Amino acid sequence: MSLYGGAVKRPIMTTLCFVAVVVLGLFSLSTLPIDLYPDIETNTLMVMTTYQGASAQDIEQNVTRPLENTLNAVSDLKHITSDSRENISVITLEFEYGKDIDVLTNDVRDKLDLISSALPDDAETPVIFKFSTDMIPIILLSVSATESTPGLYKILDDAVANPLARISGVGSVSISGAPKREIHIYVDPARLEAYGLSVETVAQIISAENRNIPGGVIDIGSDTYSLRVQGEFTSSDRMADIVVGSSGGRNIYLRDVARIDDSLEERSQTTYNNGERGAMIIIQKQSGANSVEISDKVLKMLPSLQKRLPSDVKLGVIVDTSDNIRNTIDSLVETVMYALLFVVIVVFLFLGRWRATLIITLTIPISLIASFIYLAITGNSLNIVSLSALSISIGMVVDDAIVVLENVTTHIERGSDPKQAAVHGTNEVAVSVVASTLTLIAVFFPLTLVTGMTGVLFRQLGWMVTIMMIISTICALSLTPMLCSLLLRRVNHHGRLYTLLFTPVNKGLDGLDNGYARLLRLVTRHKTVTILLCMATFVLSLMLMGRVGTEFFPTADDARLSVNLELPIGTRVEIADSVTSRLVAEWREKYPEIQVINYTTGTASSDNTFASLSDNGPHIVSMNIRLSDPGDRERGITEIAGLMRRDLLAYPEYKKARVNVGGNMGGMGGQASVDFEIYGYDFAQTDSVADRMRRMLASLPGTADITVSRADYQPEYQVDFDREKLAIYGLNLSTAANALRNRINGYTASRFREDGEEYDIKVMYSPESRTSLADIENILIYNQQGRGVRVRDVGKVVERFSPPTIERKDRERIITVTTVVEGVPMSQIIQQATAEIDRMDIPQGISVQLAGQYEDQQESFADLLLLAVLILILVYIVMAAQFESYTYPAIIMTSVLFAFSGVFFMLYLTGHTLNVMSMIGAIMLIGIVVKNGIVLIDYISLNRERGMSVTRSVIQGGRSRLRPVVMTSLTTILGMVPMACGTGQGAEMWRPMGAAVIGGLTFSTILTLLFVPALYCVFARNGIKNQRRKHHRSLRAAQKSAQS
Amino acid sequence: MKAVFIAFDQAHYHNIIDILDRLSCRGFTSWQQVNGRGSDTGEPHYGTHAWPSLASAMMVMVEDRRLDALLQRLSELDAERPKLGLRAFSWDITRSI
Repeated sequence: MSLYGGAVKRPIMTTLCFVAVVVLGLFSLSTLPIDLYPDIETNTLMVMTTYQGASAQDIEQNVTRPLENTLNAVSDLKHITSDSRENISVITLEFEYGKDIDVLTNDVRDKLDLISSALPDDAETPVIFKFSTDMIPIILLSVSATESTPGLYKILDDAVANPLARISGVGSVSISGAPKREIHIYVDPARLEAYGLSVETVAQIISAENRNIPGGVIDIGSDTYSLRVQGEFTSSDRMADIVVGSSGGRNIYLRDVARIDDSLEERSQTTYNNGERGAMIIIQKQSGANSVEISDKVLKMLPSLQKRLPSDVKLGVIVDTSDNIRNTIDSLVETVMYALLFVVIVVFLFLGRWRATLIITLTIPISLIASFIYLAITGNSLNIVSLSALSISIGMVVDDAIVVLENVTTHIERGSDPKQAAVHGTNEVAVSVVASTLTLIAVFFPLTLVTGMTGVLFRQLGWMVTIMMIISTICALSLTPMLCSLLLRRVNHHGRLYTLLFTPVNKGLDGLDNGYARLLRLVTRHKTVTILLCMATFVLSLMLMGRVGTEFFPTADDARLSVNLELPIGTRVEIADSVTSRLVAEWREKYPEIQVINYTTGTASSDNTFASLSDNGPHIVSMNIRLSDPGDRERGITEIAGLMRRDLLAYPEYKKARVNVGGNMGGMGGQASVDFEIYGYDFAQTDSVADRMRRMLASLPGTADITVSRADYQPEYQVDFDREKLAIYGLNLSTAANALRNRINGYTASRFREDGEEYDIKVMYSPESRTSLADIENILIYNQQGRGVRVRDVGKVVERFSPPTIERKDRERIITVTTVVEGVPMSQIIQQATAEIDRMDIPQGISVQLAGQYEDQQESFADLLLLAVLILILVYIVMAAQFESYTYPAIIMTSVLFAFSGVFFMLYLTGHTLNVMSMIGAIMLIGIVVKNGIVLIDYISLNRERGMSVTRSVIQGGRSRLRPVVMTSLTTILGMVPMACGTGQGAEMWRPMGAAVIGGLTFSTILTLLFVPALYCVFARNGIKNQRRKHHRSLRAAQKSAQS
Repeated sequence: MKAVFIAFDQAHYHNIIDILDRLSCRGFTSWQQVNGRGSDTGEPHYGTHAWPSLASAMMVMVEDRRLDALLQRLSELDAERPKLGLRAFSWDITRSI
């Protein structure tokens, strides 16, 4: 028995099947996490190696290069980039998308094991980081404190960070801006020398004294006791009494040669919140955990945490990413609801019966809810992509049900009982319903096959829509006929309200039908003119194509700005602080939209991984700004960012300034930027090219925040040891260099334990004895025999400049010149810049490449174009199979051309650009617009099969199919209107998609209604003429053979 | 005994069975899906793209006294839903086993 036959016969079973689906779907919905994007599996691994005290060049030579050479052999590697800066080497491995990152991680680990022995001894073991969107902090908390500042780290660690880290799903909680306790043993070099002691000896003695050693067990009488020596210091000042040596028969205590300073790290990051000194707590989630849920828990916990803190410590929220997620999802849900409402209204107006409207609209929630089951099973979330898929589908899932209902109604009107009509009516259209769903699946299923970034984003869209389409078809073939058999009546009694409401509507629709029939008569009479006019519009739209700019992703207003400021290199952190506090005061006054403004300066300590991953240093300021909600302010985020950029021009103290829109979200959502990569080994040459490039870009309109990635040369003192002299004194370079390091950077002698926490005990020269070059030259290095040699006797201290960060990409040195695109499409800047670059005189051995978002955009566009071609072929195949003809599908496919025209017209009119979102819209159109053509051609050819003439078939067919075509197009268009006009948070992202679909579908529907009939006439006439010719030929041949 | 051949739109099937039951006409043979078209106005029932509807056919053996009532009921049904199509033809049965 057929699906519909069974469904009509067993209404209870059918109903309950769908009830089960809905219940399961709603259950899945309740378990679905909310997120901004689908879980983007990371394709990036980072290898971080710290080597304290080494300059960028040392790191490049000794750490980065050997690592790069080994890691380059890992398979599926796309790009290998590295940053070698003071103290740290960060290598980023970018792999092809869609590879198993765990396997790759193991490969990388194996390679690292191979090389680790070749790295310098003091370099720490390379650490592998998987970087995914999960790493982006979900909440930044601000902490302000006054009296408690010195002990802030411990207070926050105990009372805030630890409880927060216990929340399930919270990955890591790091504190920045609150320096850690550290115990410094500041030795006096003169006294050390007098007693013949060295920093190393002192450190070793401290380490030897600060020990707890178990002494085994001892039996006494009938008991067993354990024996221990508890020698660890119980308080830091106890160390003063350690004997570090003896001189002239007298003990030398540590207090005689050093000062014990139990305080904070010497160099650390400082954080200011709304102009007040404080700290920042960074909360990251565990991979796969739900940000919204965690942030809810964190925010709920804050008041109770606040109670446990000293009264001067105040917690606040700087950035809560879940806010943006929630608002975005809310505005999308609103969009979906509006779309639903519009579709219901259209269906009701066209059908004019509430029962029919009910039957049709029931398909929408069922199909939509069923797709939640898929999301839950695959572990996905409710996000922009999945919700857009719902919004897109609302207009399309009703189409099948409408076709079925229409045919069932026709049967009923002819006299069938609803039950019979439901079975036979559905039977007649089942094949074409399945075929039209197949055309849509031909469009959306290939979306699941796209690779790269776009693929990651749109795979879910493809699956969701495909599943919804399949469910809606099953619904149309089972639930809809079942409901028709139960709800539809042979005789309709209309109330007075109906007459009042629908008489004008019906009159209008009839008028439309008649008007279209008249227009079709005109079209069939002037076929050539119609075809030429339509083609002319298409050509015209192609000309517009050049005027519509292109970019990667639209800029989203997520009320978040991040500002990176750089003072000239080597500037002391105090100066950075004072300039920035002036700037913050100005901005807080100028922009009332600013809710929280927070900035951090200074060098991050190596154990704060979050901070050391981002750029840091005494001259670098990184700022986070939270603005009020987009709906509550008049100025958009890009406008405010633009004004801030102008303000920054008045601060010549900042060498570099960059205002990032949308935080740092990676390719999506932020303001578009263009990267020019300059490859070349020679620093001077690449610098000069970069500088010329920077000036050239600055002269172009629409560029802002032009930054050259390579920082300025950092002045540094280098000690050039004379190896011969070193050898004479029985020293070697590393002993000498380590001695230097221990005195200036400090020697971590041991760890001081208190209340279960460990603090470093660092032995180093006292700050006042390391302030001049003479201090360095006077450093005494002891050899094996215990003889001291001064640095100036074995080497020279010279001032040199070295680049602070050496960036490499694919094992070549690189400088990236980046410009933010402001107010113009990205394509415009690229066009002008490439023309300028061609004119530039670039030295040999240096190459310039466009990369960054442009590369991503090119890749995505190429992927999408390939996809479009694939989809066109698939759609053609489905249609050709359905019509059993090569010509009809070709005629129908012409509507795709007009869809693209419409997209360009609409993008031009609304000022949107051609970006990934609008391209996805255009691709979806392929499936949507051919449906109109199918409905039209199908009915016209049906008329011809029934024996009508070509013209009559076209006019009759067009007239009777106008309503379904307009109705299905209107449901899709109106379903997209809330998307295109959305003003909520994140709406910028899907507005171009909505605009593209509306423009394309409207334009193509109108032109298809004229062009397709005209083209059909031409082809059909030619077909008839050919047949006649053949017939005449065979007749003549028959005559000839008869005569002969 | 009379033989009645009824050709009708599929949708009539249940109504016709109903009529037969009411008139206590027990014996019949039916073909669920047949193609055909009426001589004058009848719309073709081909089950094709152009003419998607299908017809059924039924051969009913009735006693002479029930024939009139049957034809009467059938023509009423046809009149009620003229667009569907229903025709009946009867002839004598000369012998049977």
